[in-house]
Amino acid sequence: MEGWDPTTKSTLTQIPLLTVKAGPRDGAVWTQRLKEEYKALIAYTSMNKSKDNDWFRISAANPEGTRWTGKCWYVHNLLKYEFDLQFDIPVTYPATAPELELPQLDGKTHKMYRGGKICLTVHFKPLWAKNSPRFGIAHALCLGLAPWLAAEIPILVDSGMIKHKDDVVSTSES
Amino acid sequence: MDEELLELQRQFESAQQAKSSIRLSERNVVELVQKLQHLHIIDFDLLHTVSGKEYITPDQLRVEIVSEIKKLGRVSLIDLADSVGVDLYHVEKQAQVVVANDSLLMLINGEIVSDWYWNNVCEEINDRLQECSQIALAEIAAQYQVGSELLVTVLEPRIGSLIKGRLEGGQLYTPAYVARVNAMVRGAARGITVPMNLSALWSSLQILLQEMDGASGVAVEGSFFQSMFNGLVKEGQVLGSVRAGVHWTPSVFAIAQKECVDSFFSQNSVVSYEALHKLGITQPTQFLQSRYPEGIPLVTLFVHPSTVDMLDAAVEDVIERGSWIDSLSVLPASFVSQDAHKLLSLCPSIQTALKVNKALILGDSYVFSTSFVKDLYERMEKDLDTISLSGLSDEFHVNKVAKSGQETSSTPDFNETSSESGSTKQAADKGSRKKKGKSNTNTRTADNSSDNQDPVPTKSKKNQRKSKGTSSSHGPDPKSNKIKEESLGIFSEEELCQRLTELVPDFEDQGVDPETVLVPLAGHLRPMLLNAWNERKKAAFTDNTQKIKRVLDNLQKKLDESSLNIQLYEKGLDLFDDNPTTSVLLHRHLLKTTAAPMVDMLLSKLDMLNKLRNGIDVEDSDNAESISLSSGDRIALAKKFEGPLSIKGNAVVEALEGKHVEAYMTALRAFADECGLTVKKLDKKLERTLLHSYRKDLSAQVSAEADPVAILPKVVSLLYIQFYGRALQAPGRAISVAISKLKDKLDDSAYKILEEYHAATVTLLTLISAATGDEEDCTSDRTLSKKELLERLMPALKGLVSQ
Repeated sequence: MEGWDPTTKSTLTQIPLLTVKAGPRDGAVWTQRLKEEYKALIAYTSMNKSKDNDWFRISAANPEGTRWTGKCWYVHNLLKYEFDLQFDIPVTYPATAPELELPQLDGKTHKMYRGGKICLTVHFKPLWAKNSPRFGIAHALCLGLAPWLAAEIPILVDSGMIKHKDDVVSTSES
Repeated sequence: MDEELLELQRQFESAQQAKSSIRLSERNVVELVQKLQHLHIIDFDLLHTVSGKEYITPDQLRVEIVSEIKKLGRVSLIDLADSVGVDLYHVEKQAQVVVANDSLLMLINGEIVSDWYWNNVCEEINDRLQECSQIALAEIAAQYQVGSELLVTVLEPRIGSLIKGRLEGGQLYTPAYVARVNAMVRGAARGITVPMNLSALWSSLQILLQEMDGASGVAVEGSFFQSMFNGLVKEGQVLGSVRAGVHWTPSVFAIAQKECVDSFFSQNSVVSYEALHKLGITQPTQFLQSRYPEGIPLVTLFVHPSTVDMLDAAVEDVIERGSWIDSLSVLPASFVSQDAHKLLSLCPSIQTALKVNKALILGDSYVFSTSFVKDLYERMEKDLDTISLSGLSDEFHVNKVAKSGQETSSTPDFNETSSESGSTKQAADKGSRKKKGKSNTNTRTADNSSDNQDPVPTKSKKNQRKSKGTSSSHGPDPKSNKIKEESLGIFSEEELCQRLTELVPDFEDQGVDPETVLVPLAGHLRPMLLNAWNERKKAAFTDNTQKIKRVLDNLQKKLDESSLNIQLYEKGLDLFDDNPTTSVLLHRHLLKTTAAPMVDMLLSKLDMLNKLRNGIDVEDSDNAESISLSSGDRIALAKKFEGPLSIKGNAVVEALEGKHVEAYMTALRAFADECGLTVKKLDKKLERTLLHSYRKDLSAQVSAEADPVAILPKVVSLLYIQFYGRALQAPGRAISVAISKLKDKLDDSAYKILEEYHAATVTLLTLISAATGDEEDCTSDRTLSKKELLERLMPALKGLVSQ
């Protein structure tokens, strides 16, 4: 579990683990799995809120729950930078982790694959594989996206690759 | 779609919609608070906890402190600081405020203790006390970890209310226990009948308690007993008196003591201090005097005045009867002599008798009537008559010499006398050596020195005894003491004592102790006797002076006579100056015949004078002529004289041995001068008278002379006076020379007769000297015939002179 900061680690351990091993094509079992995914997400969200660390909003984009959309944000220098978030549940899920996409930042950073999929650290995949099928979406967000935002957004802001929407507005206005 | 899933979606949605709580960082909060203080929105002290993460207001701190106190009633500030989480400094400060505001709290030794806590403690103590009946304060203090002084201050107001017991000497006792101990003390105190040291009593009670309580028993302090005891005494439950806090004298003892003394004293009218000591009265004199003010305190006894009356009566009787009494014999047996002495001094009859010299107290307790003593003295004085003139003086003098030998430096006069007389007596004692020759000088000195040495031990012994025996009567003024010392030997105490017992047989009959009575009595009599003795001696001395005068006169007369004679004869010698041998012969003869008796007479008389001067009675020897001394005796006598007299005397004696009459005469003159005598010079007138008387004398002798041999020198001398006017003393051997000198003066016939007579005399003397005493010898016949011849010639010879 090395490679992550202590806060992330403690948070991760508090997210309830999942039990059902099922992918999107497994029918009813997938529903069971989805229920567990929701419970984990609820727990994670409420946890974040209680710690005054709420940083994303997601919801299932289709009834099957294989596509998810939403927003995520990061506060840097008292400014809140907000981005769209979307990802699909792969067919091989839960053996394979979902690929998280930040389409607005596509092409703005090296730590990203084409189409805005974020590059995760080398540690992520083995950890996920090790904990499959107990890790779910909440874990993926906590382990993958949160550290990535904390690492990349300050660089991007400082290098001027991204600008706060107020600034954008004010520059456009001016 | 699954119902449950929808529900979860909704929940998730609402969870995401829910408002998140807002969090501030510590740093921000600190800054905010500082800002608030800066803006005076917070206008009071804000304390923070030890961790530094919390702010706390003083009010809150106080509230917390109070709540902590309320938990146990007692909390230490250090514990408080820990439990509240605030620095000790602030806790102390606020604790003081809290305590100051609440009268039921107290801050002691870093602890806040509430009143009700103490109440609880006291209740606990009380419970335990009721169980154990006694608890040591130290134990309680250790248990509750408080100082015992604090404990006392806390317990004291609660004793009697919360604690049913009594606090005494660092111990808590229940009333029952106190009552029990009190009963013990009362019992012990009542049981005591003799004076006792209370602390000893308490220690025995302590041991008793310890045994009763077993190992758990706490040592009860003596002071606890003491306070109880004092209480009992005050209440009158125990009777007696306490002295110096610890000496307890039960009244029963005091009463018994008093009764005992009272009964004894009223029965015997005397009580000894020793008896009182036995009864435990430490200061008998004060005790008795306070009780019997009329009584008389003596050295070892306390006596009722009636005893004095009794003694007084007895003594009065004795004085009137002219007798003596041992006051101890009238007094009870418990009296010692000092008591008797003191009591005697209180007797009025004794006082008056002493004043008028009618009584004498000796040896503390013996009373002698003066008349009795006088009687004794007279009787002893009578003895003195017999003693002093007879051999006793000799006997005494030996002692006397010893005495005076000691006194040499202080009384040289006496020394001289006594040693002189002593030595003579000594000599007399040792033998008759001195009788004949008056002792020679060598032996005299030897005697003297031995005298001084030998008797010393006897004397010192005597002195010791004397000082022991007569210490009471000893110590008069130094003068009389000296006199006494001087002649101590004369009446020794032993002799006097012996004499006294002989005179008064009562002494022995009544078993009188010689040391206490006889010795002082002897001591009393002795000075008187010695005075009498000295007076006698003085009288004898005056006698002697008359005698001395007489002797001196006599001596002078005789000296004059003989010196004149010798001078006369000396002149006669001048005739023979031309004939040395005859001259020497004549000188010697003169010295031997005339000078020697003269010297002997002189020496012996001088010796006698010396003795007389010393007060020694010497029989007046008028037959001095008969004294003839050997040369050794002469030297001894001469040496006996003192200083120059002795030297001159020696010179005379030596000259006597010499060949020249002149030398002798000068020596004699010097000697006589030294003696205070004079040697008369021969003058013409005197010579003539002397010669005349000599001639007359001689002619008388010649006419009366019947011995044919003896007549010759006398005739020759007479002839010399006739023809030469000189007196001649010639020995037989010188006669022929003397005769030949007469040849010129006499006519032939007369000379012939003389010569013939001389020749016949010489033959006769040779015959006599050659005679063997054998009557049948023919020489005796010849002697007879010669004698006849001489007798025939005698008238012719006589005729020569009678012309």
